[in-house]
Amino acid sequence: MIRVLNFCCVAAMGLTILALYHISEQTRIARVQLSQVEHRIADARTKTSVLQTEWVQVANPARIQQLAEASLGMSDTATLQLSSLELLPRRGDAPLGGAQMHDANAQVPASAPAQFVKIAAHTGM
Amino acid sequence: MNPPPTVFQRRIVIGAVICVAAFLLVGMRLVDVTVFTPNVRQIRSGDRPILSRADIVDRNGELIARNLPADDLYARPELFKDKIRAAHELAVATGVEEERLTQLFAGKHNYVLVARQLPPDVRTKVRLLNLPGLEYQADSKRYYPDGRLAAQVVGVTDGDDKGVSGLELGLNRQLRDKPMGAADQVQTSLDMRVQFILAHEAKASLDEFHAHAAGGLVMNVRTGEILAFVSLPDFDPNTRNFGDGNSSRDIMAQNLYELGSVFKIFTFAMALQDHTIHLGEEFPIGNGLKIGRYTIHEAERMPATLTVQDILADSSNIGAAQIAMRSGAVRQRAFLTTLGLLSPIHTELPENASPLYPSNWGTIETATIGFGHGISVTPLAFAAAAASVVNGGRRITPTFLKHPSDARGEQVISPETSATMRGLLRYVVTNGTGKKADVPGYDVGGKTGSAEVVGPNGRYMSGKLVTSFCGVFPVDDPRYLVFVVMDRPHGTKATDGFALAGYTAVPLAGQVISRIAPLLGVPMTPVTVAKENS
Repeated sequence: MIRVLNFCCVAAMGLTILALYHISEQTRIARVQLSQVEHRIADARTKTSVLQTEWVQVANPARIQQLAEASLGMSDTATLQLSSLELLPRRGDAPLGGAQMHDANAQVPASAPAQFVKIAAHTGM
Repeated sequence: MNPPPTVFQRRIVIGAVICVAAFLLVGMRLVDVTVFTPNVRQIRSGDRPILSRADIVDRNGELIARNLPADDLYARPELFKDKIRAAHELAVATGVEEERLTQLFAGKHNYVLVARQLPPDVRTKVRLLNLPGLEYQADSKRYYPDGRLAAQVVGVTDGDDKGVSGLELGLNRQLRDKPMGAADQVQTSLDMRVQFILAHEAKASLDEFHAHAAGGLVMNVRTGEILAFVSLPDFDPNTRNFGDGNSSRDIMAQNLYELGSVFKIFTFAMALQDHTIHLGEEFPIGNGLKIGRYTIHEAERMPATLTVQDILADSSNIGAAQIAMRSGAVRQRAFLTTLGLLSPIHTELPENASPLYPSNWGTIETATIGFGHGISVTPLAFAAAAASVVNGGRRITPTFLKHPSDARGEQVISPETSATMRGLLRYVVTNGTGKKADVPGYDVGGKTGSAEVVGPNGRYMSGKLVTSFCGVFPVDDPRYLVFVVMDRPHGTKATDGFALAGYTAVPLAGQVISRIAPLLGVPMTPVTVAKENS
């Protein structure tokens, strides 16, 4: 009886050793895989940062202006601003019927020739 | 018949079986690990995180400078099947001289450096060659996606990733040894939109007037934040080529200029603060002001008398000299000291210069400094002092770091004097030499300055001018100061050959203000047709 008991104990010990080894091995593999994933994340971040930098480069105002002038025939002009949003009347304040509407006017000198460009925006639309 | 095994023999057999089983298990595991399990330890060199300098971004989070992977490429020539072909292909992919590579590969060295700091796109080209024997040494390179746009103010780093100029040097401690990530960045006060506009307009003026140099800055007069800081000629920080028309000298922070009439801002602020003049008072101008053996003349023809307002608007040297002399040398020196003009200005920018002023500050010096001659300061120092005059009279120190809260310090002139000065500056733009900076709707105030440049022999060079314009807007409650400088501009046919500030620096500042004011959300004063026509 005592032999059977001893055998069972030794067998249980052997199985436990195997199980522990297996778990230990799985843990080691998981740790390495985690490290790999972390490195992949870092790699992806690096690639993202490269792409962000490239985006800043291609969206550079100087480049956009150059392309706009070369491809679209656009050119620098005086900044026109009709009025600030705060100064415009709100929809509810707009005059009704045949009432005279207010004009928000601004005149700025055009680039060339020396003329005045008149801009008039009717409010209350 | 064999006798049955004894107990010991049975135990030996059992032990042997257990040992064999154990060895079998170990053997199976070895086969499993070495043959069937992929090599989990293998990590590509490109997968490592980059530990390096933090990013530099502008006030809106726009990227200005960042470290990117740029590995060094090495080769083991003995592994190439065809060394000449390998040299040719690598030369095409990396841009390295083919002859140098051919010589290196034919040499006795087992391990040779092919190229340093390969950008990602070049590295991809090299990978596509599928050449054996290539290895990469992890490295990174500082990259500036906007190129020249902010080269002078941002500066560059050296091969060891240490800042050597500009904010890269000034903010070196904050930038170093930080891992790359979204939160690891230093936010500057620069606004790259404003920076682009200022750089673009300054370059256009530099080319139009064939100036030796040009520069400008935009500053928030309440917080001290510098939104744009341009110095031309500049350089490409990515290639770092300083030859042929490129320069690493920041004229706005390093050059000392006698700025001329723009200095009258301080003369008038001092006189108003001391109540030595009052608006409407008339001063005799005449044909010259004799002080000892010196005679001060006007740059242009002036009436016999001028009011205080018109002395500033028409930029009369004789009038300004008389006003300065009313306060006297001691008071003038103390006032300029209070504004910080007689000591180097300290900002995050390491480039700096100590002002030059007379050691013997007598009557003639008081008179000439009254109209901006005989004292040399950096444009940055001047702008800081001018901002203190118009921002309610409180001292402000410029900063290149984002700092949106009010940073005004001690009171240097009274708020009333500051308000009067703003009115006078507006008068200069509406009725004086600064008319070309009168941007409709933004109520610009400002002062022009044209000063002859001091030559190598210490004498003023006739016809060689430094022109400048200091503008503030909106003048009733200023938020921004624009200061532009042009070094030795030449007159053009359009300016009838004149190169004075009113023809060169003022239009430049006007263009800049008209473009940046809407961007910065500056409230616009309604402009009526009647007002414009008048």
